[in-house]
Amino acid sequence: MRRTQRALLGALLLVALLGGLPARAAEQPRYGGIVTWFDYADPARLDVHTESPLGVQQATAGVYSGLLQYDPENPSQIIADLAERWEASADGTVYTFHLRRGVQWHDGQPFSAADVQATFDRILAPDFRSPRCGSLLKPLVERVETVDDFTVRFHLKFPAATFIPSVASAWCRIAAKHILERDGNLQDPKSQIGTGPFRFKRYERGSLIEWERNPNYYDKRYPYVDGVVQYILKGAARQLAAAKAGKIMLWDTWPPMTRSQAEELKNARGDKIEIYVWPINTVWAVHLNTTRPPFDNPDLRLAVHLALNRQELFDKVFEGVGVPCAILDPKLYGDWALPMEEVKAMPGCRQPKTQDLEEAKRLVAKHYPNGLDIEVAVRSVGNYIDRVQLVVAQLRDIGIRGTIKTYESAAGYSVYGKGDFTVIGTQDTAMFLSDPSAPFAILFTSQAGRNWARHSDPLIDKLADEGLREQNRDKRREIYHRLQRHLLAGGNGTVIVGWVEGWFFRDKRLRNYHPANTVYDNNTFMKVWISK
Amino acid sequence: MLQQQTPPPATTPKGPPPPAARLARFLRRFVQRQPLGTVGAVIVGLLVLTALLAPLLAPYGPKQAEFDTYLPPGEGHLMGTDHLGRDILSRVIWGARLSLYVGLTSVALGITLGALWGMVTAYFGGWPDVLTQRLVDVLMGFPPIILALGLMAVLGQSVHNVIMALVILLTPTAARTMRSTVLGLKELAYVEAARAVGCSHWRVIFRHLVPNSLGTYIVLFTVNVAYAIVVEAALSFLGLGSPPDEPSWGGMLTAAMGSLERAPWIAFFPGLAISLVVFGLNLFGDAVRDVTDARLRGQMGGE
Repeated sequence: MRRTQRALLGALLLVALLGGLPARAAEQPRYGGIVTWFDYADPARLDVHTESPLGVQQATAGVYSGLLQYDPENPSQIIADLAERWEASADGTVYTFHLRRGVQWHDGQPFSAADVQATFDRILAPDFRSPRCGSLLKPLVERVETVDDFTVRFHLKFPAATFIPSVASAWCRIAAKHILERDGNLQDPKSQIGTGPFRFKRYERGSLIEWERNPNYYDKRYPYVDGVVQYILKGAARQLAAAKAGKIMLWDTWPPMTRSQAEELKNARGDKIEIYVWPINTVWAVHLNTTRPPFDNPDLRLAVHLALNRQELFDKVFEGVGVPCAILDPKLYGDWALPMEEVKAMPGCRQPKTQDLEEAKRLVAKHYPNGLDIEVAVRSVGNYIDRVQLVVAQLRDIGIRGTIKTYESAAGYSVYGKGDFTVIGTQDTAMFLSDPSAPFAILFTSQAGRNWARHSDPLIDKLADEGLREQNRDKRREIYHRLQRHLLAGGNGTVIVGWVEGWFFRDKRLRNYHPANTVYDNNTFMKVWISK
Repeated sequence: MLQQQTPPPATTPKGPPPPAARLARFLRRFVQRQPLGTVGAVIVGLLVLTALLAPLLAPYGPKQAEFDTYLPPGEGHLMGTDHLGRDILSRVIWGARLSLYVGLTSVALGITLGALWGMVTAYFGGWPDVLTQRLVDVLMGFPPIILALGLMAVLGQSVHNVIMALVILLTPTAARTMRSTVLGLKELAYVEAARAVGCSHWRVIFRHLVPNSLGTYIVLFTVNVAYAIVVEAALSFLGLGSPPDEPSWGGMLTAAMGSLERAPWIAFFPGLAISLVVFGLNLFGDAVRDVTDARLRGQMGGE
């Protein structure tokens, strides 16, 4: 009997030990409370279809819904949102979405297929600048058709594996037709009428953005929290101070913390927070304007490619983490990325830098025997100011003397968009799709939304298009390997520095939050709740 | 034999001492009666020397970022290295040149323009005086740092724009101060006499008013150099001053904000430099004011 009791006790202990994690996961969600986090800059403009900064996405993510969404509890998986189900034709060129009925806009108007049609007519219009959703869908979608009030159909140009992930992107949110007709765009706070779990409540420029629970959200279980407050905190020092003071509950977004900042935060908050390292699917690049001197000259672009010491840049700025030089990050993209051994052996990426620096100096001296002076533009956000100083210092070694010109975040984007710069000294671009096509569609093709360098390379356009169309995985991988080798040979206006990584934190009271595969795809806080 | 007699030494009338002797006597008295001012003068002298000899004194280039980051003060880097791997001593030394350049240039321009403005309008009076003084009221009504921030936001970030913003800040103050000095001077008998004998207005201004208001000008100048250096540091600290890679002391403080716990020396040395230089300039400025102020001159025993 005693033996039986001991065995039973042992079994119970084992179950308790092994079941620790599931027991916590089974904790009942709690309603109420306010989530606090931050935006690194003031977004200023809020139109999710035309703007590209992360801040715009963060400011509006919980306000809107998409046809589909990345599951907040399992961000690798795509689930229904305003479309409750969807199907593809046998040849993969027609997708039919069946829309949810009874959904209301935040102003009480009913949602229907007309809103979906108006949204995609806007995004797909040839002359409409849509650097995110438009960049994803314009190459794929031929037209959108309304079948009835609750059915829409997308006709694709060719079968594309990236179509459904693109539709689920947080940048392809559905806007209200009546708001687009009334306001003409979605830039202002008054235009933020969505169907999402939160209503846009308040925007104090330079200070904070606030959402409140949408009591009419179509899924009555959500959201758990009463609201979300997003403080606008410019600069790492201010962000770190807010985190240390417990003012923000979450730091899962750009810019990441460095190792020493994370240690400082851990010392201040102890076990109240969880700190983790996460590659945020973001690539750091230097953009050389190819439409004006001196970088209309391919020799000068090659010189910059050769001169940048990516390893040193990452060592100093990110204290050793990150993936220097890669066009695709092998940690995120697996075998779609070139092996790092190959990347690290290529001119511009190899160590030591002596040989590449000599060649870079020769190329500069060939055209500018006394060196040259240029203006280097940079947005004064995150740690860009630190990064650009290092970039400028490295370029000075080859005779390119840069003077740094800083811009406030939104003003910088405006200058970049107009092409009114010589060099963008540092700029991160977060991928909005976990697909190997993403960096090329965003940065390198002639029509890419962030091809600020305005570099047009027919080979890149051709290969990027083939990559989208190719159905055979091995052939597709070979296309992307060719693209990477082509870019690593240098001469492109967009010079990749590497893939950013860093430290992040979460307040342990914040439950059911899961970092997504991109920084954009889990910012709705729909299923997040706060424990006591 | 006629004994040759040595002629008695000629007695020359006692004239004024040579300029070098006068300067030496002035300096001796200055040191004796203004010990704090002397300390200030030494600090200012060191600042000037450091600024002039920066290329010789600095062990490395101020923008050279090729060392390990966060090295503490020690051998090889007496003040350590910053978060980007730059030698802090070299940046502090080059920072002296930038601070002095900004301080002297902006004050020379701002105070001179303001002084001329105040002098001319005070002398002539009438509606130009009333009108321009209202403009001075408007400019002085803005808190200086807010006005400077606004100007920098409009002008853009560069060393020369910092100087321009400082000139706009300093000119009204100098105009107002000089105006009050000249309002008093122009009522004095020698000015009235000069006008009575038919001197032109410009002769009165440059022959009588300018030399007699030089004391005010010098005090304005010395006091405002420290002010200009602090404003430049503040603007750079707020990210609107000199470009970020320029070795500005204020900019260095901003860069140190993120690593105060880890590497306090990054903030300490530029902070010390700002404090020391402003302290020195203020001591020196006070002493100069005492020397040039007629009411205090007796206490000083000046010339």
